[in-house]
Amino acid sequence: MRSARGARGLLVAALAALGTTLAGQAPVIPGAPTGQAPAVDLSGYWTPALHEDLMERGPGAEIADYGGFPLNEAGRLWALSYDPSRVTLRHHQCEAYTAPYQMRALGNFRIWEERDEHTQRLVAIHLWAQTTEGHRVIWMDGRPHPPAWAPHTFRGFSTGRFVGNALVVNTTHMKNGALRRGNGVPESDQATLTEFFTRHGDHLTNVTVISDPVYLTEPMVRSSDFARQPVDPGAWLYACDDGEQILDRPDDAVPHYLFGKQPFVNEFSTRYKLPLAAGLLGAVTMYPELEARLTTATEAEGRALLSPAAGRAPETSKATDREPRDGEIHILPVRDNVYMLVGDGANIVVQTGDQGAFVVDTGEGKLADKVIAAIRSLTPKPIQFIANTSFRSEHTGGNARLGDAGQDPSLLGSFFVTAAPRGVTGFFNDPGAHATMMAHVNVQVRMQAAKAPAAAVPADTYLEDRRRKFHNDDAIEFFYQKDAVTDGDSLIHFRRADVIVAGDIFTTTQYPVIDPKNGGSVQGEIRALNEILNKTVYRHQGEGGTYVVPGHGYLADEHEVLEYRDMVVIVRDRVKAMIDGGATLAQVKAARVTADYDTQYGANTGPWTTEMFVTAVYDSLKNARR
Amino acid sequence: MNMLRLNGWGISALLVTLLSAASGPIHAQRGGRGGPPAPPAPRAASPIDLTGQWVSLITEEWRQRQFTGAKNDFGSLNVVLLPAARKIAAGWDPARDAAAGEQCKPYGAAGVMRLPTRVRLSWQDDTALRLETDAGTQTRLFKFGPPQGDGGDWQGVSTASWDYPQAALAGRGLGPAPGGSLKVITTKMKPGYLSRNGVPYSGNAVMTEYFDRFDVPGGDSLLVVSSEIVDPEFLATPYWTSQQFKRETDASRWRPTPCGAR
Repeated sequence: MRSARGARGLLVAALAALGTTLAGQAPVIPGAPTGQAPAVDLSGYWTPALHEDLMERGPGAEIADYGGFPLNEAGRLWALSYDPSRVTLRHHQCEAYTAPYQMRALGNFRIWEERDEHTQRLVAIHLWAQTTEGHRVIWMDGRPHPPAWAPHTFRGFSTGRFVGNALVVNTTHMKNGALRRGNGVPESDQATLTEFFTRHGDHLTNVTVISDPVYLTEPMVRSSDFARQPVDPGAWLYACDDGEQILDRPDDAVPHYLFGKQPFVNEFSTRYKLPLAAGLLGAVTMYPELEARLTTATEAEGRALLSPAAGRAPETSKATDREPRDGEIHILPVRDNVYMLVGDGANIVVQTGDQGAFVVDTGEGKLADKVIAAIRSLTPKPIQFIANTSFRSEHTGGNARLGDAGQDPSLLGSFFVTAAPRGVTGFFNDPGAHATMMAHVNVQVRMQAAKAPAAAVPADTYLEDRRRKFHNDDAIEFFYQKDAVTDGDSLIHFRRADVIVAGDIFTTTQYPVIDPKNGGSVQGEIRALNEILNKTVYRHQGEGGTYVVPGHGYLADEHEVLEYRDMVVIVRDRVKAMIDGGATLAQVKAARVTADYDTQYGANTGPWTTEMFVTAVYDSLKNARR
Repeated sequence: MNMLRLNGWGISALLVTLLSAASGPIHAQRGGRGGPPAPPAPRAASPIDLTGQWVSLITEEWRQRQFTGAKNDFGSLNVVLLPAARKIAAGWDPARDAAAGEQCKPYGAAGVMRLPTRVRLSWQDDTALRLETDAGTQTRLFKFGPPQGDGGDWQGVSTASWDYPQAALAGRGLGPAPGGSLKVITTKMKPGYLSRNGVPYSGNAVMTEYFDRFDVPGGDSLLVVSSEIVDPEFLATPYWTSQQFKRETDASRWRPTPCGAR
């Protein structure tokens, strides 16, 4: 017999040989998660080389230096309108970086793997950036990307796979932000990102390919180099808290420049003896053809690029359709016991708990049965309260059906319930048979004027600035916005869950449907958006924290509201400046005052067009002067 | 240890099981009788196809690369230049270069890949890749195997290899890594310019490049060249950049121009 020592030696040798063999061919385990074996190990500490674009990535790029970016007209005009002092606004001060911008940031990076405790399969690759505490999670377990109505974050939602010797990462659901530091080159919330990470020894290369239908005419490709650090460089935090930087500034003031009025536009071209057009020509600036193109560039051409091209119809939105349009109701958990239901017109919010469901808005009503079924899947309790943010049919269309399907048990057995009919008592003649419907009184007035069925009209109304109710262990507040998109709008705030339902005051899909004939105004809309911003608290670096459910579009937070507020203010300022100069409505429309936002929100057909929005802004400003 | 309390039959059975599991693939790697087969030629062994026409995408260091900068305008090179380099750059005189027949100084191997250019990659034979640029009409030759040639011209001597991730202790626990890159080490270059406004590199500069190809969803293919230039005479640290090119199918865009045409 062999000795124990000899057996141990043979066993070690055999195991070593076995290890050599098996490591080269990952065992296939039926039913196991699909995490791939890494083809490249990115773990460790990495420092950006900064041997390219050092000034642009550090102090920031110069105004009108947009060369190398395939900007379309909207992107160029957005950048030219940008005033860097916009970051003095409280809500802009701590904004994080979007994923591609983060990869160009100064500061160190740390990368590590997350593995399943039991299978040791790769679940995710984490990347932490020193600047803005940028934490990216690249899911490697094959999970799908969220639906179009899910929240966006600065770093977006990333999934990865190994292809050859590269980690290939696909990122969606990013917030809008900067594509370049300091000079306004924008990236929209519609941008998607493909990245390739390769490692050659201690040299890591990250290639970003940004596709943005809103602001770019073709994908934007950049590459960044990182050097591996042998030890932890430390200092991984990036403290930021916003504060007052300019006192007594009106809260409807957003720093920007009117089209054609950017005062620093010549600095770059003058300093470097380049034609003005050199940095403004979009995609051609990336290619060897630029030199030939500039031989025909004139000063007049450069000047023309500073304003929207005349004589063109407004561009239309290039954004992804946020509506599922599949005839189904989709449930998105928001926070705690609050859910967003998508699929039947305006977004619907449902709060559940020990008491009956509290529903905000009821959609168009075309899928009311499915809405009711969705609510019943969330709670066995009845629909007890329905609150409407607006009288519009997209928000109230399901009132009657949902109301009939619900009941308000708080009325049963109440002192106010009598056997006598309502006509005699003034109280309830059908207690507990329906959900109680709540809204500002103007919703009731407008719906009655439109001869809406009585069963669809909120009966429990309020008149002043605020209504409150404690339900399902949460404090719910209604805040009346007297002249936002209409004269009946309410913001509804679930305080413990910290979810604000904005109705049509805020959407991510279109210009605000300001309706001056029904009491709406651009000034009131701006006030209402600022009211939301006065109530939100971000969780970290300008994102998260308070959720805001838009009337249409994806679940948002204060960042999206902020950008929307900025847009409305900027468009208002442009229209106001033209009115001050004596312009007619036709002249305002021809000036394309929304040219930098049309590829995000614009429409030339349908119920709410760009022209209708511009007209509403014009009319409400004109009305305010009367 | 409990394992060593196995009786002799148990240990033997375990070893046989383990060794038989290990022996199959190892045996297969040896190529059967008569020793290992000859490795395939570099062309046949290509892990990636780099051939074709590629156009540079000048999206970084844009002004310095698309235009000839003013004297002493170094851009990001500022962080790596030694005083000796700054002194030479301060004396940059393109007219003098042209008069001396040295107008190709910005088109040497360490400079040309960052210029606005198209490149064509093709196999010269089974052991050498040829890279041509239309800017400056230059040709780089990437030869597999040991370094060949004396260099001393703008493009120097480039030695190529296919690069795969390697373990520190080769053969211990690592199977063949997937994918691969083209690695090119270039030496013996005639002194030239890292940028068109006279930032110098010396004849002792060593440039290491990795060529990777990435296929982007939607159809585009990218060639990304990650490079390191080490030049103790002029650079305080290794100079790291990466250049990206997009694959083109329109050969008519190829427009060879002489050095100094831009």
